[in-house]
Amino acid sequence: MTTLTRQDLNFGQVVADILCEFLEVAIHLILYVREVYPSGIFQKRKKYNVPVQMSCHPELNQYIQDTLHCVKPLIEKNDAEKVVVVIMDKEHHPVERFVFEISQPPLLSISSDTLLSHVEQLLRAFILKISVCDAVLNNNPPGCSFTVLVHTRDAATRNMEKVQVIKDFPWIVADEQEVHMQEPRLIPLKTMTSDIVKMQLYVEERTQKT
Amino acid sequence: MSRDGWMKKKASAGGDNGWAERGGYMAAKVSKLDEQFKLDAPREKRKEGACSSIFSGVAIYVNGYTEPSADELRRLMMLHGGQFHVYYSRSKTTHIIANNLPNSKIQELKGEKVIRPEWITDSIKAGRLLPYLQYMLYAKQKGLLFPGMTLRQTSEIAGPSQLNARQKLHLPQRSVQASVLGREPSSSGCQNNSVPVSSHSVPQSVQHSSATTQPSLSASGQLITEPRHRNPPHTQPLSNPSLTKQPHRCPQSTPPQEAELKINGLLQTSPDTKSHSKIDEVQECGGKDHPAGASRVVKEAPLSNGHAHLVNGALKPEELCPAADQPSADGDLLRRRAKTSPDKPQSSPVQFHTKPDPYEFPHSPPKQSDQSPDLEEQSSSQGAEQRPKPPPPTHHEAAKASEGHLLPKQPQTPPQLDKTHPSPASLSLSYSSVRLNGSHHDAFPSDAASLSTANTTPDRPAGNSSFSSSSKPSAQLLEQTGGLISEFYSHSRLHQISTWRTGFSEYVNELHSKRKAAGGACFPGKDRLRKLVAQRPTDSQGTSAAVSVKSCILHVDMDCFFVSVGIRHRPELKGKPVAVTSNRGQARVPLRPGANPQVEMQYYQRKYTHPQPEMTDDDDLHRTPSQESPDSHANGMLQETAALSMAEIASCSYEARQAGVRNGMFFGKAKQLCPTLQSVPYDFEAYKEVALSMYEILAGYTHDIEALSCDEVLIDGSALLAEVGVNPHDLAKAIRADIYEKTGCCASVGMGSNILLARLATRKAKPNGQHFLKSEEVDDFIRDLPVTSLPGVGPVMGRKLAAMAVRSCGDLQQVSLSQLQKKFGPRTGQTLFRFCRGLDDRPVRYEKERKSVSAEMNYNIRFTKVDEAECFLTNLSMEVQKRLQDAGLRGRRVTLKVMVRKVGAPLEPAKYGGHGICDNLARTVMLAQSTDSGQLIAAAVIKLLHAMKLQVQDLRGVGIQVQLLEGNQSVRQDGNGLRKRSIKDLLFGQEPSAKSNNRDSPQEKTSSTTAPSACSLPHPLSPAEPVPGTSKEQPASRQTPKRSRSRLNLSIEVPSPSQVDRSVLEALPAELREQVEQSWTRRDGRQNNCRSPGLQLSTANSRPSSPPRPAPASVPALYTPPVGTLLLQIPNQPDSPGIVLELPNFSQVDPDVFAALPKELQEELKSAYSRVTNIQPQAKILEPKNPLLQLKQPGVGLGRVKRRYKRKNAISPVKKGASPLKKRQMTNSPAKTLAPAIKPINILKTETDPSTSSSHPDIPESVTKLIARPAPALAGACDLTDIKTLLREWVTTITEPMEEDILQVVKYCTDLIEDKDLERLDLIIKYMKRIMQQSVESVWSMAFDFILDNVQVVVQQAYGSTLKIA
Repeated sequence: MTTLTRQDLNFGQVVADILCEFLEVAIHLILYVREVYPSGIFQKRKKYNVPVQMSCHPELNQYIQDTLHCVKPLIEKNDAEKVVVVIMDKEHHPVERFVFEISQPPLLSISSDTLLSHVEQLLRAFILKISVCDAVLNNNPPGCSFTVLVHTRDAATRNMEKVQVIKDFPWIVADEQEVHMQEPRLIPLKTMTSDIVKMQLYVEERTQKT
Repeated sequence: MSRDGWMKKKASAGGDNGWAERGGYMAAKVSKLDEQFKLDAPREKRKEGACSSIFSGVAIYVNGYTEPSADELRRLMMLHGGQFHVYYSRSKTTHIIANNLPNSKIQELKGEKVIRPEWITDSIKAGRLLPYLQYMLYAKQKGLLFPGMTLRQTSEIAGPSQLNARQKLHLPQRSVQASVLGREPSSSGCQNNSVPVSSHSVPQSVQHSSATTQPSLSASGQLITEPRHRNPPHTQPLSNPSLTKQPHRCPQSTPPQEAELKINGLLQTSPDTKSHSKIDEVQECGGKDHPAGASRVVKEAPLSNGHAHLVNGALKPEELCPAADQPSADGDLLRRRAKTSPDKPQSSPVQFHTKPDPYEFPHSPPKQSDQSPDLEEQSSSQGAEQRPKPPPPTHHEAAKASEGHLLPKQPQTPPQLDKTHPSPASLSLSYSSVRLNGSHHDAFPSDAASLSTANTTPDRPAGNSSFSSSSKPSAQLLEQTGGLISEFYSHSRLHQISTWRTGFSEYVNELHSKRKAAGGACFPGKDRLRKLVAQRPTDSQGTSAAVSVKSCILHVDMDCFFVSVGIRHRPELKGKPVAVTSNRGQARVPLRPGANPQVEMQYYQRKYTHPQPEMTDDDDLHRTPSQESPDSHANGMLQETAALSMAEIASCSYEARQAGVRNGMFFGKAKQLCPTLQSVPYDFEAYKEVALSMYEILAGYTHDIEALSCDEVLIDGSALLAEVGVNPHDLAKAIRADIYEKTGCCASVGMGSNILLARLATRKAKPNGQHFLKSEEVDDFIRDLPVTSLPGVGPVMGRKLAAMAVRSCGDLQQVSLSQLQKKFGPRTGQTLFRFCRGLDDRPVRYEKERKSVSAEMNYNIRFTKVDEAECFLTNLSMEVQKRLQDAGLRGRRVTLKVMVRKVGAPLEPAKYGGHGICDNLARTVMLAQSTDSGQLIAAAVIKLLHAMKLQVQDLRGVGIQVQLLEGNQSVRQDGNGLRKRSIKDLLFGQEPSAKSNNRDSPQEKTSSTTAPSACSLPHPLSPAEPVPGTSKEQPASRQTPKRSRSRLNLSIEVPSPSQVDRSVLEALPAELREQVEQSWTRRDGRQNNCRSPGLQLSTANSRPSSPPRPAPASVPALYTPPVGTLLLQIPNQPDSPGIVLELPNFSQVDPDVFAALPKELQEELKSAYSRVTNIQPQAKILEPKNPLLQLKQPGVGLGRVKRRYKRKNAISPVKKGASPLKKRQMTNSPAKTLAPAIKPINILKTETDPSTSSSHPDIPESVTKLIARPAPALAGACDLTDIKTLLREWVTTITEPMEEDILQVVKYCTDLIEDKDLERLDLIIKYMKRIMQQSVESVWSMAFDFILDNVQVVVQQAYGSTLKIA
């Protein structure tokens, strides 16, 4: 079978596609599980062969899509270190952070026959973990909102500014207020290591949420 | 019956439940059983010689546990014309025999005759069928009369535990007992016992009483109390004749005697002790003490002391049998008379003793006057008890003991004992059979010697006898047990033989040193060889030269050594099947009640036939006793196997082997396989003599000898062959001829190019031959060999391999190295991998380093009280001390190994005094300091024992092992041992084998300090070390090898080969040398880079970039010629800066102390301080070391250590400043911080501890892993389940975690964080939390807290937050 390497043009894209797809599902699910939005706007869907919840609120969906659309180039170039879904309280202080830490394994080689199913299994595990993570987390205060932060490596930020993927959807440097969390506590959720990507998900939670 | 029969039986019995309803099957079965019974009966009768038909018409059914056992009862019924029903039948069964019935059964059996088994034994004794009424189990109105009932009452008084013991006692009751009982007023249950006796003894008693001058008052009292029992007989016992009787009747009488003995034992030695014993008795007996009766009473008392093991095999059934044989009382009388004469002499010495007794027992006026036999018995028994020794000696001793109070044990040879029977000795024998632990005492009546020869073997150290007197003050206990242990060891043949190896090794060593001293030794053998060669025609010489191989190892092995030595002077036995065993030729021995050989046999069978996880074994065990054992009791077929002699065969001749007899087989079984099998006793003197002459002969050829055992030697013949120009065959021939000529025994010689092949060749050579395994044949040869023939592959590994479908070496060759290593660990896997290809690079070593010193006893361990166990441990520690001192060693790691009766296993193992089915547990502790002091070791092990929270009663084996040895060898290595060592040496001195290496360092150090290294580069052993050592080094030294090892390879930095003094290198232990050499090879082409690859990798992130590092690191390597230091320098980590950091502020140094230091040290310190200023920046980075310190605090005994060090160094402890954790935070990468923390330890370990490092096979692998791959691993385990298992083992098997282990875990966790595998980290932390906080030891909780703290810090650094731990 064909073997892809990092040199192949589309390799980064493949990874980015997979990850962005996953992140989209994950973000929806997080919003549902953490009750950032009323559960009424969510619909049950099937992804990775497990049930997931997906918002059917068009603006929200659009926002998520746009965000990920912008993240994708970063992932392609392996410039994104972390993608963070931050849940903030009314004062826009973060109460919870779902951190997807992404890195690429040092040696990339993809043999297509095993890859997809294997990665899918791993991602499914993430999804399942997310859907039960409320068991290990404290309840969020009412009136939460969310935002997505991306931690980039090196000088990727500058490049981003130069090349805006979506014109009216610029990235800005996050406020200190949004980034800093008091007494964060870390709850590891899942780690995966595959041929194409190494990713772990953990939640940072503010000790005192209310 | 053969075991096969038994198996079949089992099989059918197993289906019992399902078939019960089907009358047809059961009917058939019952009738078959009856038939078998009938068949067996005559055989049994023949065997026993005596029989009767007392029980004709009686058919018994045994319900539940009885004393004696169902098997025994069955046998008795066979012998005496009765019927035994395995299944109860209302119509046919006449009596139900039971000791105890549950309520439901009582209801069920209402109206049936339920009778106590004493009825049978007593009837046999009486020689006629006694009315069973008295023996009815549940006839309350008769309760007082029945021993069983009375016993129970007494037991209530004494405590529940006594119950069982007492019951057992009842069974054994003999006439003697009766007499004794008679003395005791009604109060004691013993009286009841007397009843049965009385009946048969009547006629005799009269005679005796007349003979004896004093009918004791007490006896009369008894009469009154027990009108039913014939009083006259009671009186008998009181009189001297009673004593005489005992020997005769020994089987019967003994049990009570034994009991008495126990009690007596307490009394014996000094008045004080006696008083103690008295008190005890009083308490236990519930005021039963009667003067004369005291001794009798004692019987019961002992039981109570003895903890009342259920098992106490009160009756030896066999013993009873002999008694039974004498149908009439008359016979007894005759015998008694005969014996009386010999007995008398004994009595006189005893009497001395008895006199003091009166004081003790004021109630017993009769005693004094009487000097009644009882007293005598007491005294003798006392003596016996005191000694730990084997039973046989006891009675002699007893006599002495009575005079001298406490006699040290006499090492008497067992055979004597056996023979002494007729004489007074017999009495003593009965006593001697008493076991220390007391549990058995009752069980072993006298005749053990005659009947159960196996039991009397010398090894039976009688080990626990001392314990029987549990109530004694501990000092006494100590005394006794101590003797016991050394006795054990002086008698244990296995032990003796095993020590010989060491002896011979030393012998070989001596040869070497002599040769060195004399500048050459004479080799008569070699000379002869030369002549031989010279005589030979030149052409053959040519061939031999051609044949001579580069290396040729000869493996000389005597052919069935013990046998051939044993029959050296008995030519008539040559060519016959012969076995060396302690058994005297009887294949059968009495079955001890409580023993359940079937259960054990099944257990082992199951275990061996299907290697299964432990779980199933447990299940089996649980099931067997409950379901099957009742069966087995009832099942006549089982009995035979049960009664087979369990004496093991130490060695058997080839003829016997052909019949299927194997070494280690039980003699009883062997005899079945080979009825003509002859047994030959041990002859240690001869073994030693022959072995020694063999060694002498071999030493006549060469000194390249490695002693493997007393009859097995490896010779490196390479040099010899080359020198003389002989071929190996000729050499072997010459050696064998020599050996045969000088010793009269045959030897086989195997030859090959390495040790393995030589040993394998020996197999082919045997018997009495020689074989050279040519290298070209090796492949074919080895392919077909079963794996189990490889050295190191025992049954266990064999089974494991078989489970992998590997049976032959050829199969094994198909298995990949990685697979093997995964399955068996890196070291073993590698060995297997090589062995199955015929590869073996072990050198022949004439000198072997001892890795551990241990003492272990798993024979005859029956404790009743914690005190006893402690005493025993103390004594065992003393034994270890002795051995350590003999070997000139000290050790730091102490391991306590115990065998604990497996839950559900029979209380009494099939083998007399054996350990039965056990769980093996081990606990280890590191002492603060290496020691050879038994006291320290004892304190440590006792603590361990307590920590294990075991029932001492269930202990079946205890062993103490001391590891991490250091000692004489080092002294030998450098005789120049400088006394002026730096503090560091003091510190390091604690490391076991450290000294040898460190010794070199001082010189080096001094030289280096003064040396041109003006660059102020720290030399490897910085003077500063001592100071940190106060707290740090100590813990470091405590590390387990595991850790050190893993780092070992990483951290070794060696000077270039040219700089190494060859001689020093050679002086190093082999392992170390290898490492050094390896590091050279590794370093090739990387000269510039001082760092070892491993470290680089792991610390790659942060380290390499820091500029200051490389310089210091490289310096030591390049500049220091000193060998010691060279040995191992940790590369990336400049020790010196690290160490320097630990110096206290200069201002804090006490000037006085400083002045008091030796000059060199002062210099070192000064330079260190000067250096400190230079390296400040580095220092900061290195500071994180401190975490180590922190660890210590939770660790055990750290405080002590610290204190000690403070004292020693007289330097104020290092200031640590901020807590290590905080410091850590400053550093960016967790890995970094950790590594330095660990470093000092590494240095220590690598330098000092070759032996320890070698002992842990798993390290190399982990090392390679580290180098090869960054995946975090804990002790080589990567997989989550593996790690969990590892952790669980760690937590469950060790009472107090060692710092280095904890650090290892922390390191692993940090690795995980670095590896961005928080999920696993989370799982592992949670797992640890679970198991550690559950642990009883609070230390574990602390350990967890520590780990967690450290992990949190690292997480904090990496993620800015801390883990949430639910």
